[in-house]
Amino acid sequence: MNSLMEQFPIVFNALNVGFLQTLKLFFVTLLGAIPLGLVISFGSMSRFRPLSYITKIIVWIIRGTPLMIQLLIIFYFPGIVLKNNIWGGSESGRFLAASVAFIFNYACYFSEIYRGGIQGVPKGQEEAGLVLGMTRSQIFFRVTLLQMIKRIVPPMANEIITLVKDTSLARIIALQEIIWAGQAFLKGSQGIAGEIWPLFFTAVYYLIFSGILTVLLGRLEKKLDYFR
Amino acid sequence: MAILEVEHLSKNFERTEVLRDISFSLEKGKVLSIIGSSGSGKTTLLRCLNFLERPDGGVIRVNGETLFDANDPVTTQEAEIRRKRLHFGLVFQSFNLFPQYTALGNVMLAKELLEKERPDYKAKKKEIHAQIEREAKVLLNQMGLSDRMNNYPHQLSGGQCQRVAIARALALKPDILCFDEPTSALDPELTGEVLKVIQGLADQETTMIIVTHEMSFARDVSSQVIFMDDGCILEHGTPQQVFENPREERTRQFLSRFTNG
Amino acid sequence: MKRKVLSALLCAVMTISMLAGCGSGGEEQDSESDKAYVQDKGTLVVGITNFEPMDYQDDNGDWIGFDADMAKAFGESLGVDVEFVEIDWDNKILELDSQTIDCVWNGMTLTDEVTSSMECTGAYLNNAQVVVVPTDVADQYQDEESLADLNFAVEAGSAGEEQVSERGFNYTAVTAQADALMEVAAGTSDAAVIDSLMAAAMIGEGTSYSDLTYTVSLNSEEYGVGFRKGSDLAEELNNFFAQSYEDGTMQACAEQYKVQAALIEQ
Repeated sequence: MNSLMEQFPIVFNALNVGFLQTLKLFFVTLLGAIPLGLVISFGSMSRFRPLSYITKIIVWIIRGTPLMIQLLIIFYFPGIVLKNNIWGGSESGRFLAASVAFIFNYACYFSEIYRGGIQGVPKGQEEAGLVLGMTRSQIFFRVTLLQMIKRIVPPMANEIITLVKDTSLARIIALQEIIWAGQAFLKGSQGIAGEIWPLFFTAVYYLIFSGILTVLLGRLEKKLDYFR
Repeated sequence: MAILEVEHLSKNFERTEVLRDISFSLEKGKVLSIIGSSGSGKTTLLRCLNFLERPDGGVIRVNGETLFDANDPVTTQEAEIRRKRLHFGLVFQSFNLFPQYTALGNVMLAKELLEKERPDYKAKKKEIHAQIEREAKVLLNQMGLSDRMNNYPHQLSGGQCQRVAIARALALKPDILCFDEPTSALDPELTGEVLKVIQGLADQETTMIIVTHEMSFARDVSSQVIFMDDGCILEHGTPQQVFENPREERTRQFLSRFTNG
Repeated sequence: MKRKVLSALLCAVMTISMLAGCGSGGEEQDSESDKAYVQDKGTLVVGITNFEPMDYQDDNGDWIGFDADMAKAFGESLGVDVEFVEIDWDNKILELDSQTIDCVWNGMTLTDEVTSSMECTGAYLNNAQVVVVPTDVADQYQDEESLADLNFAVEAGSAGEEQVSERGFNYTAVTAQADALMEVAAGTSDAAVIDSLMAAAMIGEGTSYSDLTYTVSLNSEEYGVGFRKGSDLAEELNNFFAQSYEDGTMQACAEQYKVQAALIEQ
């Protein structure tokens, strides 16, 4: 199977399957990390000191170590050290472990962005709401929330684009995302072996997807441009 | 009868006494100016009246109703405070307009949220909204902002922002409108337009408490003046008394900075 | 006040969940045999890579191959399901130790590294590094002496590269064994050195490299199956191999995937 024309449909199919896994990990991470990040940011801003110390230490550990190591520890640590493999070895177990690692990691990064967003809204906004007889929840939803969102959209957009590419780290625990799928043709798969171009071609997927995200997030940013 | 009575009000931050034994009263339709150097407790007093700070001692009465009594725990409960705040309006030094709402939106927001609590809100939603909008437009007109209603705060000058903030406070029809150095954040050429608006309100007999550094304005607009120093009321009287015949040496010193400077 | 209670509660929940994460498990399976552990969970998880003709996918995406089919039969004898999981070959020992897989069954050469870190079965298949040349010139290259002037293509880091460099042959290192075959087919190299089992499956009549054939073996090596260190399943599988060899099912399976010539008597 030498010609590119013959190889392309096979490679294209395999890369699509891999990319689906990449997308799944991407969206599951966002879905989990966006709310968890809020919980963590509230924890780190808590006036109850022990809670804020614990969360700050957790955030320090997660942000201070490579995601690749976190993936390895989360997936292999329970089985090797605790003699109790909680993930199973199947593709779905690997996906679950990868999701947990990614959600935790990204929630910690998000929490710091949220914290900046929440603390960046001037105190006067809340006070203005209070003297106008608004309840705390009215103040949060009608006044401060949108200002917070406006503040966090640009740094969140950065993290989200980074996440697209970071999903490839999950291949360290043999999650078969798109890089894995592309690499398979280097080692040999479905009658195609020693081909480097499928691996290079995965870049096109990342480019297109992060391009779409950049446009969407840019639009959101522009939409919030009507106030300052 | 006095619309506002403040008796023996005190407030501490940690160990520092910021307000000590503050007592005064204000007649309906009159204007009270509070002057004094920074750190003398003027702003804290205003914030106590608006329940942004909780006083440690004393009593606050409006129209004879006790809003706050440090010795009566019922009046210090959090849930009660929101309703009590509505007796007072507060205009901040730095405006604190909501940036994501237009001038009109800023004026309407609080009133709309308040009216939602009416039992007949759902049935009369449209009429209520139209009524609020009408009133807000009247207020903005009065502030000379009829052509700026649909602008966002960042599109307005400082003076215009402060006038929107005044309209916003007036929209809830407070018994007493408080100003916390309303012109201090403005360029000198913009202070005039804001002072003119406040003067206009005084002419309509709006009850007001104004913390200010504009001495000549305070003298013209007020019916009584308080000079505060180190958390105490050092001098209290008519503008003539305080500005022309101060009893205390400290007041004279303070005023001389303005007349000679 | 309310907020403080909430914070304290949150704090407690976090602490407890951390402790629970560390506390559970522990000493359960140490005394238990690996066979009992696998039978207990009802699944034998087989770690593989995509490696024709040992473990590869058919058109339906099901795993087949000599190793895959034997693994399925072994699972049946244990009364458990077999699940194939593609792993990163570099992490195979880590995967075994963390119980994310139960065995490595993927044409694994029994090297010192492998036998010291895993419980391995006896060898079941011979492999060799063989020389691949175009069929029309195969007659000229039937012994090692005749190879001296050839330009070889070999996979970088493979056993094949080791063999040719040991002998001082000229060679080009390429990224994969299949690449090496392509070099020969395209005429850019005179010969390639690859695994004999791969050569059996990928070249000759009825394959995409019908013009190629293999001649000289440069060395020999053996394949085995690896389990967790100390596992009783290695012995179990040895017995199973012996039994299958005796009743001929192993030979039949080997024939199906054209590896019968390399099969080792059990």
